[in-house]
Amino acid sequence: MNIASPAERLELLAASYALGTLRGGARRRFETLAREHATVRAAALIWQGRFASLTELEAAALPDAAVWTRIRNRIEAEKEAQALARQRQAAPASAPAPRGWLRSLALWRGASAAGALATVLAVVVGVNLRDELRNAPAVRYVAVLQNDQSAASVLVTFDPKQQQLTLQRLGDYAEGADKSLQLWALPPGGAPRSLGVLDRSPALRLAAAESAVRAVPTLAISLEPRGGVPSERGPTGPVLFKGALIEKTL
Amino acid sequence: MIDPSPDAEIIELIDRVGRREEAALRQLYDRTSPRLFGLALRVVRQREWAEDVLQEAFLTVWRVAGDYRGTLSPPMAWLGMIVRSRALDLLRRRTADRAQLTQEFDELLADTLESDSPNPMDLADAGEQAWALHQCLQQLDDKQRQVVSLAYLRDLSHSELSEQLKLPLGTVKTWIRRGLEKLRVCMGHFA
Repeated sequence: MNIASPAERLELLAASYALGTLRGGARRRFETLAREHATVRAAALIWQGRFASLTELEAAALPDAAVWTRIRNRIEAEKEAQALARQRQAAPASAPAPRGWLRSLALWRGASAAGALATVLAVVVGVNLRDELRNAPAVRYVAVLQNDQSAASVLVTFDPKQQQLTLQRLGDYAEGADKSLQLWALPPGGAPRSLGVLDRSPALRLAAAESAVRAVPTLAISLEPRGGVPSERGPTGPVLFKGALIEKTL
Repeated sequence: MIDPSPDAEIIELIDRVGRREEAALRQLYDRTSPRLFGLALRVVRQREWAEDVLQEAFLTVWRVAGDYRGTLSPPMAWLGMIVRSRALDLLRRRTADRAQLTQEFDELLADTLESDSPNPMDLADAGEQAWALHQCLQQLDDKQRQVVSLAYLRDLSHSELSEQLKLPLGTVKTWIRRGLEKLRVCMGHFA
């Protein structure tokens, strides 16, 4: 096709650039030109704006109502995590800044096969203070571990008096006969630490010192060879469930 | 303003989200999610994936709404860009499932050729520029319109389009070139 003027050729180049079909060397040459010449840059920006409008022209469709619930849950969980981070930062004993555990979490995610964003759901149970004092066990930390579909899969609570973690399976997940589930603490800035291996019962208790869960923002469960793996090796299988560990302050 | 334009209304919601008003996020979601979900569906083609995309997009909006004013974009285009970018993220993560996608494309091409042009009622929230683009796209052949919009929405190269649509590379290039040429002339009238 013969296109008459250089101005028209420039426009078409800018349009292919903005559309994304201008690739490789041609794209890099265009980018260089655009950096050097304002008219080229302007043409590219105009076409980028035009094609961005393509996103406005698709027929509407109704998403499932659960999507909004998931968004709200994630926002709640983020706020909880931020509040927790602030609270820990304020406490004299706790050194790690929120950045630290965010980074370690990012590393952890990178290592996990799921690769999906961590989905955490904080469940805040309003408990009357008097009831709590009267009733054992004293639950101090709570985590709801979710699978990658954001379904609650394991409820973890920690009782500092009994020095005990209680795990309650919520979903119908069943590991194969040659596999075990292993619970990990993801401490800020450190390697994952094993808290124990789950047996097949619906509820399970694991001994743990409070120091093992204090300042741990996230718990995760991975699928490991039967009997689990040594703590220092870290998880070797995919992370199935994870969630924020929330310290109950009321 | 007594009767705010759709743009002004959506911009105000984005601003309020930028001030961390959760109620505003809900309103923005109610107002825009059908349109944005339609877009996500177009890009990723699966309801479940599109819902993940919509979720990630609104979490992104929640985090970055404060930056909206600096972008100078029409509000629906800005939201659309976020959805497209989250959708492309998801597709990149799922490249292993390419084969499955390719198959769906054959069906997609057939059924979207007809449904590709939303009627004017559907475009109540579209910005002025989107209107102009919509008018100009009507001047393209169905096939040209289809490859141009797929190239952009799914960020596909000529050869990826040729592969996914099972068309000769030369044909794809020709359709795109002719489509862009028509768009260039037509959009020039709106400039």
